[in-house]
Amino acid sequence: MRTPLLFAAATLVVVAAGMPLRAHHAFAAEFDGSKPVKLTGTVTKMDWINPHAWLHMDVKASDGKVVAWMIEGGAPNALLRRGWNRRSVPPGTVVTVEGFRAKDGSTRASGGAVTLPDGTKLFIGASPEEGK
Amino acid sequence: MRTHIARVIASIALAAAVSACEGANTNAQEGYAPPRTPDGQPDLQGIWTNYTATPFEVPDPSDNPRLYAGDPDGTGRGTGPSSFLNDTVDRKLTKGRSLVVDPPSGRVPIMAWAEEHRTARLLSIQDHYANHTPWERCITRGVPGGIFPTGYGSGYQILQGPGHVAIVYEMIHEARIIPTDGRAHAGSGIRLWNGDSRGRWEGDTLVVDIANFNDKGNIATNAAAQRVRAIPQTETLYVVERFTRVDENTLGYEATIEDPKVFTAPWKVAMTLQREPDYKIFEYACHEGNLAIPNTLSAGRARDKAAR
Repeated sequence: MRTPLLFAAATLVVVAAGMPLRAHHAFAAEFDGSKPVKLTGTVTKMDWINPHAWLHMDVKASDGKVVAWMIEGGAPNALLRRGWNRRSVPPGTVVTVEGFRAKDGSTRASGGAVTLPDGTKLFIGASPEEGK
Repeated sequence: MRTHIARVIASIALAAAVSACEGANTNAQEGYAPPRTPDGQPDLQGIWTNYTATPFEVPDPSDNPRLYAGDPDGTGRGTGPSSFLNDTVDRKLTKGRSLVVDPPSGRVPIMAWAEEHRTARLLSIQDHYANHTPWERCITRGVPGGIFPTGYGSGYQILQGPGHVAIVYEMIHEARIIPTDGRAHAGSGIRLWNGDSRGRWEGDTLVVDIANFNDKGNIATNAAAQRVRAIPQTETLYVVERFTRVDENTLGYEATIEDPKVFTAPWKVAMTLQREPDYKIFEYACHEGNLAIPNTLSAGRARDKAAR
């Protein structure tokens, strides 16, 4: 099991490295492309703010402690054009988010695929190509 | 006969391919007369977009895309869009040779000091907020930089009234009001991020002179501009833009850029914008939550701590 997981993580990194980002700031200055994360938790808030939307979620760590995470998304106008709206992830929704962790070690990440309870996948990040 | 038809088809295909490589046609189509506003100006009004897969410059092996993207150590992805195949609603984009059409090499004649200045700034974005481009700081994308295509938010609305043309830029929620009533430029002591625009009509073409720039901005801020991103503007920057309605659904745009302190010769970009009446210009309140700046600085402080 460990090998496929590692392989999956490596693939994510390679895909990320090759993709241009539809963002207005430098990804690598803020997030670490070598630290992919996969988080499952409960949405507490979706902040529809510019220049990037932020998804807030509570994630239960392995020691049982609940940790608040912030996931950076694309610009609200880019997400709207991609099919997101304010009802996409209401508070209380359990989601799984894939992304890359912040370089300063805080519980922030640049978001990619968001999987909803029914298995639907939405892409929250700045480059839709990564969601494919 | 069949061979002849095949040859004709082949030559048409070749002509189309060459024209795609040579850049956008920004002149009015023969016989086309644009509609007029009630006061008789050529009517350029409407919503236009310029999503494109065309690179800004002709790529060169000496290019350092990671540096231009604010990612010198190559640990992740870059800044902003570089080259996309599809737009934000997944439409396939066309790809030409380069947006820079003069000099014919498709390479901007940048002085060495200006490239060094850019490099020093981009290598230090984790160290000071002022090292970020004015776009990342949510100040402005500049003129003409505000119309350089990006991966999202590349929508523009043009509005006209007697004596004025206004352009609303979706990214980053900017607006320009261009007098076309013959008034002189502001005094040379007035220095502006986006310069001082003065328009006039040459036939059916809107020609805009822009002077009075400050020395704080950048000629281009988006990563799609690659080597030209974060190149400084100075008070000697002078820009001439030309807007021409090519046909009902196409707007030709050219900008000639000269700054004798930064470039060894004037250079020109040319592109077309497409009329998209159904495209919605969304509000983009850039400074609403621009967490990228503090987060980038805190990543730098974490880096410093780890190095101790």
